Amino acid sequence: MSLSDIVLSIADNKQMLGLRYAEWATRAPSLEADIAAAAMGLDDLGHSRVLYGCLEPLGQDPRGPERETDPSTIRSLAYFDEPWSEWSQFVAANAVLDTAFTVMIESCVGGSVEVLQHRLRKMLMEERYHFLHGRSWLRSGIEAGPLNRAWEEAIEWFGPPDGEVAAFHKEGKLSLGPSDLLARLEERLESKAPKAAVDWKRWDSARRRTRDGAIDEHTFGMLRGLEEKKFAAASAKKDE
Amino acid sequence: MSKYKRVSGDAVEYEVFARKTRVEPLHQVGSVVAPDDDLAMAYARATYDEERWCEMAIVRKDDVIRLWQPGEA
Repeated sequence: MSLSDIVLSIADNKQMLGLRYAEWATRAPSLEADIAAAAMGLDDLGHSRVLYGCLEPLGQDPRGPERETDPSTIRSLAYFDEPWSEWSQFVAANAVLDTAFTVMIESCVGGSVEVLQHRLRKMLMEERYHFLHGRSWLRSGIEAGPLNRAWEEAIEWFGPPDGEVAAFHKEGKLSLGPSDLLARLEERLESKAPKAAVDWKRWDSARRRTRDGAIDEHTFGMLRGLEEKKFAAASAKKDE
Repeated sequence: MSKYKRVSGDAVEYEVFARKTRVEPLHQVGSVVAPDDDLAMAYARATYDEERWCEMAIVRKDDVIRLWQPGEA
């Protein structure tokens, strides 16, 4: 595992988070929340592009051709596998997972790798408003199910105590190790993560998760541009 | 600022002010409705971020002290 694998994981997760946010752009509880969902979606999709652009300068691009055909090679968390059906899922992702990605980005910016120090800094300014949005909705109270799941997946995503995130922290490439990342996340959200034992034997180090599964077919098709082809075929027939 | 209000429940209306350059004054660009300051900041930024503002600020509409209003001057 290289630092590129961590960056690719942030990128894939932000891409999926952006898409799931955007799906709520007309379903949120108020017009303002609709607009915020759309804006945060655009932000995170933009962030993912910047992160993908860091892979080459880092020297190793872990993306292979299998990403074109196999949805399980997209390195996103299980939380993003299916579209969210409840607003509380949106809020838990916004408050916990989006902030978890932000503290990892802070760790990259505070580390010794120049390309990450420079290119990721602006994201932190934009993420401030995602955080305010998530924390405010979280304070208003949401169901425990999605919230606990988001916490569990955030802890898994930070990685095991003796994993590569810890090793990169020791080397100075990241300014925070897994326990520091969790402590910062808890501090930001003014709450403690629920007690949960992660079965690290089941942990997929590339996708940084223990759950099986993959993103849904429709979303994967959209990411690959396959959904566009359906419309292209229909318009071509019309022209005949 | 109009007298129109679209708040309900615990929501509060905030006026949003912004400027593009340091030499121009802040001017009102719109409003948002939110239950607290944090969410109002997030909504203001999301709703009015289409321009390259050098400054943006929000104020609770109820905190504005009016000297007079249309029809009273």
